[in-house]
Amino acid sequence: MENPLSVRKPDDGFAIQTFDLTRIFGKLVAVDGINLDIKKGELFAFLGPNGAGKTTTISMLCCLLKPSSGTALVMGKDINREPYKVKAAIGISPQDTTLSDHLTPIENLELIGNLHQLPPKIVKQRARELVETMGLEDRAKDQVRKFSGGMKRRLNIAMALINDPQIIILDEPTLGLDPQSRRIVWKYISRLKKNRTILLTTHYLEEADFLADRIGIIDEGKIVALGTALELKTDMIDTHTIIIKAWNLTQKTIMEMKEKYEDVQITDGTMTITDKRVGFKEIVDYLHNAGTVIRSAYIKEPSLDDVFIRITGKKLRE
Amino acid sequence: MRFFSLLIRNIKETYRDALALGFLLAFPLVFMLLFGFAFGGNGSVSYGVGVVDNDSTDASHTFISDALGAADVLYVNAYSSTDNALEDLRQGNISSYIVIPEGFGEQVAMIWQQIPGNVELDITYDESNLSVSSNVISIINSITRSYLGIEIPITINTNPINIESKITQIDFIAPGIIVFGLLIMIPTAGRIMLRDKETRFLHRMMTTPARPWEFIAGYSLSMAIIAIIQVVLFILLGWLFGMDIVGNIWLAFAIFALTALCSIGIGMIAASLAKSENQGESLSWLFSMPLAMISGVWFSIEFLPSYIRFFADLFPYSHAVSASRAVITRGVGMEAISGDFIFLVVWTVVVFIIGTFLFQRSMRS
Repeated sequence: MENPLSVRKPDDGFAIQTFDLTRIFGKLVAVDGINLDIKKGELFAFLGPNGAGKTTTISMLCCLLKPSSGTALVMGKDINREPYKVKAAIGISPQDTTLSDHLTPIENLELIGNLHQLPPKIVKQRARELVETMGLEDRAKDQVRKFSGGMKRRLNIAMALINDPQIIILDEPTLGLDPQSRRIVWKYISRLKKNRTILLTTHYLEEADFLADRIGIIDEGKIVALGTALELKTDMIDTHTIIIKAWNLTQKTIMEMKEKYEDVQITDGTMTITDKRVGFKEIVDYLHNAGTVIRSAYIKEPSLDDVFIRITGKKLRE
Repeated sequence: MRFFSLLIRNIKETYRDALALGFLLAFPLVFMLLFGFAFGGNGSVSYGVGVVDNDSTDASHTFISDALGAADVLYVNAYSSTDNALEDLRQGNISSYIVIPEGFGEQVAMIWQQIPGNVELDITYDESNLSVSSNVISIINSITRSYLGIEIPITINTNPINIESKITQIDFIAPGIIVFGLLIMIPTAGRIMLRDKETRFLHRMMTTPARPWEFIAGYSLSMAIIAIIQVVLFILLGWLFGMDIVGNIWLAFAIFALTALCSIGIGMIAASLAKSENQGESLSWLFSMPLAMISGVWFSIEFLPSYIRFFADLFPYSHAVSASRAVITRGVGMEAISGDFIFLVVWTVVVFIIGTFLFQRSMRS
């Protein structure tokens, strides 16, 4: 078999590079030959439905799982050859909130810091700082089993930062959070973004859209699209959608529109027209002339959801 | 010192967990208190035992008066014939009777001169009252062995009559309860490991550069420390209830420490094989409670069928009970219990090798 490293060259500018990274469980190919470059200082989002291979990829990058074939370089270190050096360079906040229940937040943070063999003074100082940053200082002396879901989430993220890692991996950081707590976490992630490489997995489109510099859409173990949110929307969506709400749409008008345009949907007096070539003014004028009273008319921006459906043929939360 | 951080964390996680602490300390403590109040003090319970002396030599007389008679827990009645003794046993006046056969004195003399021999005593007991009878049989057995000095012939030779034989019930019960406390460490020993596996906290810790051996050392040493605290506490409590440690306390301590390590090793194996905390713990209880029953921690197992005793003897606990009882109540030294001791050492080593191997394997999956 060809050495995957020989095809693409390792590059110092990248924080993470994967080379035909593959993981097979029995008959299931969970991760199917992923080749990916994540730049230093970039916030990269892995977007995909449950079971797409996001967490498996991350487990391999964290050296918790050995690849079936292929490899990856994390800060220039090979995950197969130097797993402990890779581990030292990353901080991970796993999908499940995993904390030591009977310890305080400070003790939890210090434990992970000590396992990274950082000087005790620094561990103590950082633990205090992180507890403050995450707004947990009032509860610093309570055992974490008494914490709310949101507080646990925040601590879960803080634990990824105790070793001041070059790469932060956040696996579904806002899974199961209410919208308000999600916003708080997003704000915090944006602040982290400035000086570190962040790899984030999510199946919330808004999250990827809001946070990520670049997005990789993953489905059935493969990267199916890659780019900034804007690139994905403009590249992948070549059609336009116009939504019109009207009082008196007649069957005749509807039939005429359906003949003219590729896709016309009617629900409760709302007409959604999708076509590669569709002019806003043209439609509004046409309807006006036909005697239709228009309540509202607007062009719908493509969303990542549309991108996702377009690429995979399914909705993200299916 | 990563494993040290883990060790501290595991101890905190255990002693702040009321349930874990309850099973580790309170549960065996309750047993100890129950037995302590029931049987503690200076022989508040005594069993009536009949003696029929068919030998009637100096040796048999001193055996009755100085050995059997000196045990607080026994109340000795002499009978002229087995018929009379049997009648009293039927009436419930005595729990059992011993027949000292002819030739007893000669046999004893031979043993004291270190000529190999065999002393036989016939004990007839009330089968319907099994727990009392089995205790009495064990006590008589202990007293006889002490008297004969089968295990410590040198001491016997110098002063054969005044050897320790004032066995109280608590002396007999306490080592068993301590071993019971160590046996039921099996479910608790695996608990933290299983919980860390199930909640994936172990995986989180494994994303740090800590090595597998450091996790294993962190888990097992923290349990070992808890076990030592437990043993010290139980010995103190036993002592409060009047348990006399006749033999070398460090030897007793070593036996208990090895037993604890065996439990930790078994717990580690259970934690590696089980899929969840619930499954692991239920299986561990299912395994440890029957094992406790047949290992002689609560009552003597001398009346159990031989195949059950054979099964029990495959595990370390019956050996721990008999060895610690021998040291604590009869004051024997290493030479007398070396078989049991070596058995415990081998068990500890083997169980740790298997446990480490399995746990490492389960960490990878």
